[in-house]
Amino acid sequence: MAAAAAACYSPARIAISCSSSSSSAASMPGRPLRVAVVGGGPAGASAAEALALAGARAFLLERNPAGAKPCGGAIPLCMLDEFAIPRDLVDRRVTRMRILSPSNLATDFSRALPPGAHIPMLRREVLDSFLRRRAADAGAALVPGLVTSLSLPTGPSDPYLVHYISSSSSEGTGRGVLEVDAVVGADGANSRVAREVGAGDYTTAIAFQERIRLPEAAMAYYDDLAEMYLGGDVSPDFYGWVFPKCDHVAVGTGTVAAKPEIKRFQSGIRARAGAKIAGGRVVKVEAHPIPEHPRPRRVVGRVALVGDAAGYVTRCSGEGIYFAAKSGRLCGQAMAEEWARTGAVTEAGLRQGYLRRWDDEFLLMFRFLDLLQRVFYVGNAGREALVEMCADEYVQRRSFESYLYKQMVPGDPRGDLRLLWRTVASMVRCGVLGREVERLRRLELQARELRV
Amino acid sequence: MAMATSTFSPRPASPSTLKRLRTGAKPHLHLSFARLCAGRLARAAAGEAPVEAPPKQPDVDLSPAAASNGAAVKAEAPVAVEAEAEAAPVPRFRDARWLNGTWDLKQFEKGGAVDWDAVIDAEARRRKWLEDYPEATDTDEAVVFDTSIIPWWAWMKRFHLPEAEKLNGRAAMVGFFMAYFVDSLTGMGLVDQTGNFFCKTLLFVAVAGVLLIRKNEDLESLKKIIDETTFYDKQWQATWQEDSPAERKK
Repeated sequence: MAAAAAACYSPARIAISCSSSSSSAASMPGRPLRVAVVGGGPAGASAAEALALAGARAFLLERNPAGAKPCGGAIPLCMLDEFAIPRDLVDRRVTRMRILSPSNLATDFSRALPPGAHIPMLRREVLDSFLRRRAADAGAALVPGLVTSLSLPTGPSDPYLVHYISSSSSEGTGRGVLEVDAVVGADGANSRVAREVGAGDYTTAIAFQERIRLPEAAMAYYDDLAEMYLGGDVSPDFYGWVFPKCDHVAVGTGTVAAKPEIKRFQSGIRARAGAKIAGGRVVKVEAHPIPEHPRPRRVVGRVALVGDAAGYVTRCSGEGIYFAAKSGRLCGQAMAEEWARTGAVTEAGLRQGYLRRWDDEFLLMFRFLDLLQRVFYVGNAGREALVEMCADEYVQRRSFESYLYKQMVPGDPRGDLRLLWRTVASMVRCGVLGREVERLRRLELQARELRV
Repeated sequence: MAMATSTFSPRPASPSTLKRLRTGAKPHLHLSFARLCAGRLARAAAGEAPVEAPPKQPDVDLSPAAASNGAAVKAEAPVAVEAEAEAAPVPRFRDARWLNGTWDLKQFEKGGAVDWDAVIDAEARRRKWLEDYPEATDTDEAVVFDTSIIPWWAWMKRFHLPEAEKLNGRAAMVGFFMAYFVDSLTGMGLVDQTGNFFCKTLLFVAVAGVLLIRKNEDLESLKKIIDETTFYDKQWQATWQEDSPAERKK
């Protein structure tokens, strides 16, 4: 145990301890930056890799390296290039996406797909272990273990102490301590790091999913097709899905407001999928919280939160893998850059180098998707309008451009105006029908009361 | 109208049965698909049977679903069928005018032209039915009806025009009173007011107010919308607000 702890101390620290007291430590940093990255998913692995490539000493702590995370497993196309993900990791290439409204109106969201473009589907365990291995190859130290607590420093150049329980077979199980200059909290929706530093809380949705192995013929239907189901029977504020995976489909749903009823919504999505998933066998059931918005404090002291721990999951689509990896990389680069420039990592520096750059690039996209969710997911009228509008080719093209390449490009003004007009028209028509439905319901209730 | 709606209610029309059918079971689906999907029947036994036998609910959900979808389906199927037989099956949405996933407009003709009001009524009934009894999607019977088939003037005539008289009346009353009030305060007559920018702004506000705030409830819902739209933004900006207390943590 002591050997494990000692192995983690950087030997160089003892040599220059005399100069560590002044905050304006050497313009040339005498030793490499030490960062503990807590959590070995896409966010943590990308942060560790970015730090290691910049010459810092990164310790990547992961409590369950072999775990398979409950996740849709879809990533945008730009992630394959930006993160150099080998093509053979991709299980499926989804080129058709079908959206179904509460009245079962179906729209095929694939007419405007650019040639060669697709949505890659991967298994999380495959992706995560690839990213971790690459981080290790770049120089990060993989530490299998569970972080139990974080000792906060008293002064601006005092180290953080990361207490963990090691589960590595080589070092022997037992408690260990890491002494580091900064911490990256990449430990997901139930982040321990966030709790330790008091980053605040956020509302979460619950995503519930069953993996169902289908017979060959049924699986062929989902070969390159993913389905999204909308409706009050499937979710009051989100969507249900059938996503193809390597040899099975993932059928699931999610909700923010009605978590106790998630099982009912799951029956709802299975009923709606109907004969298409008939004869299947449930091989796994999984559930996980998904953050709905960022935490009140994403950077506290020299601790930065990334990925799900920070709350970077878009609303409306529930996408988080790309943003986790991207924020991890951005944070790692910001830390290393600040260290190289000033010899220290500070909260202000992290805010400028990481948070400011992140918000500038992605805040608009997150806000826009929040708006879409509020408008289109809340009642059946909105859902019907969404599906009607998705039949429009311009909408499909813009959606794919912004989803696959993560660029919110303003389209041509005439197209946008026409889109706005069509949106308003669809909303009005479906809203009117929604009100008619409510009126009929009221009448039926009155009739029943009169009869009773 | 009451007669028309009652034909779409299931046989046991008492409120409690209807509620139970709606919240728990979708027995009609499973009966009609009984031949096709034994797996779903088993799940019906797991998930929907509790409608008839509440004590079974907690443990039935997960384990039988996992086991029964594979091997033990036959054992579950008879149980499921019994459960559904007790729960008065509800048929799928059926209407003589609904053909091939859309409304057959020829059947709505009245005096040579299509009676769009009847189409709107029929579609509203269909959506209400599906809200109460969601149906499994079927690739063979795909729905292709979308509301843009109904022309804009049909919507206008039915939903806007009846309200239009009331709204125009309100706008006229507000306008007259405001014109008088501004005249008594500033001495500008009506003609002078129409040339003034501030007065034109007031006019715009009055028209928008009459259009948006039609009932007392609209005020509350507008406030809620404003709160909700800014809530998300506030969460993102929160990290920038916390400058002074956070410094101490360094």
